[in-house]
Amino acid sequence: MDATALAYFAAGIGAGLTIMGGAAGIGRLAASALDGIARQPNAAGDIRGAMIIAAGLIEGVTFFALIVTMVLAFK
Amino acid sequence: MSPLLPLVQAAPPEAAPAHEGAAAAAHAAGPAEVIMHHVTDQPFYGLPSKHLVFFVIAAVLVLVIARLAIRSYRGGRVPRGLGAAVESLVLFIRDDIAEPSIGHGEGRRFTPLLCSFFFFILVAALIGLTPFSATSTGNLSVTMALAGVSFLAQQWAGISKYGLVRHFRNLVPPGLPLWLLPIMIPVEILGMLSKPFALMIRLFANMLAGHMVITAVLLLIPLMGEVSTVAGLAMAPVSLGLALFIMLLELLVAFIQAYIFTLLSAIFIGMYAHPAH
Repeated sequence: MDATALAYFAAGIGAGLTIMGGAAGIGRLAASALDGIARQPNAAGDIRGAMIIAAGLIEGVTFFALIVTMVLAFK
Repeated sequence: MSPLLPLVQAAPPEAAPAHEGAAAAAHAAGPAEVIMHHVTDQPFYGLPSKHLVFFVIAAVLVLVIARLAIRSYRGGRVPRGLGAAVESLVLFIRDDIAEPSIGHGEGRRFTPLLCSFFFFILVAALIGLTPFSATSTGNLSVTMALAGVSFLAQQWAGISKYGLVRHFRNLVPPGLPLWLLPIMIPVEILGMLSKPFALMIRLFANMLAGHMVITAVLLLIPLMGEVSTVAGLAMAPVSLGLALFIMLLELLVAFIQAYIFTLLSAIFIGMYAHPAH
């Protein structure tokens, strides 16, 4: 196997692992946010704001890994 | 202190003049090259850098919007229309982002900077969604400049309040046992540097990823068209629908990323203006 093939292979696996981690984290976040809103509907606005912020931060970390895989795939 | 530091990323110019609206060009290049061509910097009608052109356009647009909003206050009137919209956003930034994070009187000192960040990132992202344009915040140099300005603001917040030496001494909590210092100091310095770095990568990757996905989805049309013309034609409405949906998502992401950049900058500035230890 030459280096380019290995790089593409690694990029594919890397992208899959990245999305696994990111989706798991954001899924847990969404679940707790929905639980919280169900318990206290009048706190829905605050919970929604905190959820969006946390989702943005988690996605930021996911994108770090995504950049690495994209560099592997395109270079 | 608006973020107008023009750093140009010297990316090699690509030859194929395709753009994201009409993906039916550049068959000779593979899909990877087309995608990279759409999102990286290129010369633009003789000017060296497309991202820089749209950076300047976004900055000018922010200034124009601000001026028009200020004009609606003339004569002591209550602003309506654009002035009211800008006022509601600025009040949101001051009351919900700056003051809770930086402190009650001090939030006002940093509100102009935070408003600059928010409006610039938002306008740059929205401009990038129009045809024949490029998102200037999808360039690592631009986000590096924004994160650099944020870093300087954080340092300035600490140094202007505490003085140069005490600002760095505030990094470690007082009353720390002396043997912990060799561990705490590198950790704190690393933390101080990694916060703007994370801001930079987060904004860059969010803006980049959206455009890459849109280009890839629209690229499916000619790719399927190479298999057979009917498949290409059948793919077209599917791809267009998907691309439209992703562009709507990009609108949302533009707002969210502008908000997160501003909020995190405010939080970090607050961390140095009011060290908890």
